[in-house]
Amino acid sequence: MIRSVPLMGTIVTIHVVGHAGDGGDGHDEAITRAFGWFERVEACCTRFDAQSELMQLTTHVGVAVPVSALLFEAARFALSVAEESGGAFDPTIGHRMETRGFNREHRTGQVVRTDLRSDGALNCRPVSYRDVQLDPDRQTIAFLRRLVLDLGAVAKGLAIDMAARELQPFENFAIDAGGDLYLAGHSPDDAPWSIGIRHPRADRELIDSLRVSNAAVCTSGDYERRSEDSHHILDPRTDAPADGVASVTVVAPTAMAADALATAAFVLGPVEGIRLLERQGVDGLIVSHAMERYSTRDL
Amino acid sequence: MKVGNSNKQVANGLVALSSAAILAVYTAGYLRTRSAADRFAVEAAERRSSPPRIAGVERVVEPELPRTVTESEAPARPVARAPRMRDAVPVVTPKAPASNNQPAEQIAEAPALAPPVDAPPAAPEPPAPPVAQHAQYKDGTYYGWGTSRHGDIQAAVVVQDGKIASATIAQCLTRYSCSVIARLPPQVAARQSPEIDYVSGATQSTNAFYYAVVEALAKAR
Repeated sequence: MIRSVPLMGTIVTIHVVGHAGDGGDGHDEAITRAFGWFERVEACCTRFDAQSELMQLTTHVGVAVPVSALLFEAARFALSVAEESGGAFDPTIGHRMETRGFNREHRTGQVVRTDLRSDGALNCRPVSYRDVQLDPDRQTIAFLRRLVLDLGAVAKGLAIDMAARELQPFENFAIDAGGDLYLAGHSPDDAPWSIGIRHPRADRELIDSLRVSNAAVCTSGDYERRSEDSHHILDPRTDAPADGVASVTVVAPTAMAADALATAAFVLGPVEGIRLLERQGVDGLIVSHAMERYSTRDL
Repeated sequence: MKVGNSNKQVANGLVALSSAAILAVYTAGYLRTRSAADRFAVEAAERRSSPPRIAGVERVVEPELPRTVTESEAPARPVARAPRMRDAVPVVTPKAPASNNQPAEQIAEAPALAPPVDAPPAAPEPPAPPVAQHAQYKDGTYYGWGTSRHGDIQAAVVVQDGKIASATIAQCLTRYSCSVIARLPPQVAARQSPEIDYVSGATQSTNAFYYAVVEALAKAR
């Protein structure tokens, strides 16, 4: 059974090996629930809808706001990646991305603009992940300053992982959310899934391929989601598009970790990026602008 | 390229933390997160009606139903190479949640706090499926355009009995041949050789097809 649905600005495909999809056994329900998580995560975590639970936080500066488990865990994980990467990954970059042209809602094409002026013109220090405070006991999030969280590098991975959790009874399945993947068990060929890694400079070519089972594979490339003059990965430390890397592929037990670490490694560059991946115990391949390949020891 | 097995001692923080996060969200469950979101909306409404007034809280958006584009059987493929199995990832014990230890002086208490969220149940509560399927599209064939840096793609979406029966590429005005994406759907990730099941890394054409399908579906409402 292969089913594709347009969700979260991309096409999500769920492929269950050896299941005809004729219903009656609760399996179709599991697949429907798996797709449902993408809707659920996007509705909660999008910064393109002023009414989303995420964007409500922007209007409550200095207030500890009780949030859903979903938003809390996504934000907590994003802040942990920020901490671990020394700020190379920083989810508070949302407003700066907005002002650089990454401001278009994918379904309606509507442009979003968030007014942060009430933060006070005297406060010149740029916002950072340190301006977000979590209370795990009470499940609250507080913004110490007016800012926009961007959970883009975390939310899709989380949705993939939640979908994978729903599909666990199937054992052998693949989830493809626009090139971010989770592969469970084996492919219809009864072998580990064969995964191509897109060549960062040639849309139709592969730079490598690998065999995976029970792992997520996520790739961040400078060819994705471009605004007029730059790609979508900004270096939070300089506000400029991250330079020096063409693409980063990470293989990890969860899509959430793979996706976020790929983004962080992209900003850090090949040498520091590989160091981060090895420190976190995941596999990865970084391709530089000069098409040089850097990989973790085991890849 | 070989993927090394992951029997490394994963004392690593982020992978463990992501596993813990997934478990927490799953345990909280679909219904639970939804009720938390609804409660948030109610609280917001209460706050609006009593000072201090907090602007900008209107509603919490309910997710739409997933829209099925296509469904079909996977073609059988020959085994292309010797399997190199990545070992199953060992179960990682979630470590204590990391928190952001910032000074708390500036934090005010949220007004009109709701009763504390119930402790999560011992057994995960499976998320409720989205609202039962109902006919959300009008029957017919609809067309929509999607644009990429390489050119435009027109999708044709056929709706039968209120559900999407198929979505195919009707016209392809990209600089490159659409042969790569002609297999779309169902295999959205273009299979670039028969040995490859899926491709990691977004493709421009896929995005164009997405926008084309979304535009076509907008007309079916």
